Amino acid sequence: MLLENMKMAFAALKANKMRSFLTMLGIIIGIGSVIAIVSIGDTMRRMFTDLYKDVGITQAFIQPGYWLEDLRQSDYFTVDDIEKLKEIFGDDIAYIDSSASVSGEITVGRRKKNFNLTGIDYNYQDVQPVDIVYGRYLNEGDIKGRKQNAVMEAEAAKEMFGSENAVGKTFRMTVYGSVLEFNIVGVYKKEMSPFQKLMMGTGNGTGEAFIPWTLLTWPNDFFYSLRYFADTKLDEEQLSALNSDIVSYIARSKGRNAEDFYFTTAANEMGAVDSVLGGVSAAVGGIAAISLLVGGIGIMNIMLVSVTERTREIGTRKALGATTTDIMIQFLTESAVLSAVGGLIGVMLAAGLVSLGGLIFSLPVVIKPGVVIMAVGFSALVGIFFGIYPAKKAAANDPIIALRYE
Amino acid sequence: MDDIIRLENLVKIYDTGALRVLGLDRTDLSIKRGEFVAIMGHSGSGKSTLMNILGCLDRPTLGKYYLDGEAVDEMDSRELSQVRNRKIGFVFQSFNLISRMSIEKNVEIPMIYARKKPGERRQRAIELLTRVGLRERLWHQPNELSGGQRQRVAIARALANDPPLILADEPTGNLDSKASVEIMELFAGLHREGATVVVVTHEENIAAYTHRIITFSDGRIISDRINENPTSVSESSDLADRIS
Repeated sequence: MLLENMKMAFAALKANKMRSFLTMLGIIIGIGSVIAIVSIGDTMRRMFTDLYKDVGITQAFIQPGYWLEDLRQSDYFTVDDIEKLKEIFGDDIAYIDSSASVSGEITVGRRKKNFNLTGIDYNYQDVQPVDIVYGRYLNEGDIKGRKQNAVMEAEAAKEMFGSENAVGKTFRMTVYGSVLEFNIVGVYKKEMSPFQKLMMGTGNGTGEAFIPWTLLTWPNDFFYSLRYFADTKLDEEQLSALNSDIVSYIARSKGRNAEDFYFTTAANEMGAVDSVLGGVSAAVGGIAAISLLVGGIGIMNIMLVSVTERTREIGTRKALGATTTDIMIQFLTESAVLSAVGGLIGVMLAAGLVSLGGLIFSLPVVIKPGVVIMAVGFSALVGIFFGIYPAKKAAANDPIIALRYE
Repeated sequence: MDDIIRLENLVKIYDTGALRVLGLDRTDLSIKRGEFVAIMGHSGSGKSTLMNILGCLDRPTLGKYYLDGEAVDEMDSRELSQVRNRKIGFVFQSFNLISRMSIEKNVEIPMIYARKKPGERRQRAIELLTRVGLRERLWHQPNELSGGQRQRVAIARALANDPPLILADEPTGNLDSKASVEIMELFAGLHREGATVVVVTHEENIAAYTHRIITFSDGRIISDRINENPTSVSESSDLADRIS
């Protein structure tokens, strides 16, 4: 019987193709925009998740609070602080440094280019792996010996030296007022999606290289921020315990409260981005859902027209033995099919558009099957809901009057 | 007595609020299984009221109506739907076929509501349409057929669930005289095969095909007579042969 109703519903819709399509349009647009928005939101979240994974999800920064009015020299960090932290939390900290970097122009002969030199310890590769394509990474000797050695990113190396293999070449840069000459000991490659490049602010003319952090941070220096990567084997609870332990240890050692320090982790920032994106998707999705409501009203309207037009058919069916329920189900099926087909078209349209967008911007598009099933199911529900009143009206027809209806 | 229809003291009052109209006034009537009956009368005579009650589309205000031995006046609307589906084959003046379906599908409709299996329905529909001479037109839509052909589809549809009573309301009202003859011959043939056929009409020459003519006026039966000399029809039992 259900199958028969479905067949009848499709036949009725086919009999009025243009009208059915126009009625579906509301649902197509509604479902289409909901799916498109949710998929774009999911795609963005996924990209940010990937991005932060790359940055190192356990990465944390700590600084004296920028809001402090009585900032003292003792609030700053020293190399001793780093040594002590390593001593106390060494098992749980995979990497720690002073988060030092310098930006400026480097010169190779007459060629100049803006570079960002990041000061790192020799084990930085453990937490931020890169692909060394020529030469070697910075080693313990480079760091301890404060050697003016550098590891340069391959594309920048090619731009400066005409070849990716720049091992053995040198460049000059002014660091803290004095001109230093660096030897390139290695060249690395880092694969990034266009989106990552965009977000990381590279690929826009700034070259990257790593140098020993000891060149930027002297044993008796005071510096403003610390960064560390917690060991990735820690679970969420252990991680947050570690983070708060470290902050309170530092606060104590400087005679301050934990609240006086600014502390953030990659996970925090990702959470913030995620919740902003989630909020935006939900808000825009909600607005799109209103168009579903409008689409539903359109369906109700056309079903009412259809019921009136088919008064005679309803009378005939009743005379031939259809019960009130039979008629009710027939019209409900029709509005559900109308709406679900609209939903399906909307989903396909949205999936097509989002995938096309993904191709153009070469982004990995996320379309969750659950969302698709929900959308089609929901549109069928919209059809049933808005079909109830017309179907009741159809079923309530008195066969005697309906049969005489012209 | 094997009555297919028995009405006892049947009264139908239409209450429109402002005024009450007596549709049927204390009517007693019996129709036996296998009869071929015409119900005649002018408009307003009560014949349409009777037709609606006989067809279980309407309920009497008072009195008893037994259809095929069952007290129909006591049934609820769901049971009445079933009675219409199983016991009555309707034929309407304006055919009332559903336009966007093939005639084969149209004939299947009563069987769909009787919850018959698709294969069975289809076989029966083809068999019936063959009987009324439309074997070649199974997949046509009603609007591709002439009036007479459409009414033959409607008759095939009326026979779908093999009901004990065929109820035809002005079946030739929208047909030319040639098609009217065809349709009346079809009914006569069904009667010869044992079916009970009740035709509501206001045309003498249509009533002349039947064997018993009941005339209504002002909600009462004013005459109920045997038609000694019904319009003769060819004696071939193959209906399709006669028509096409």
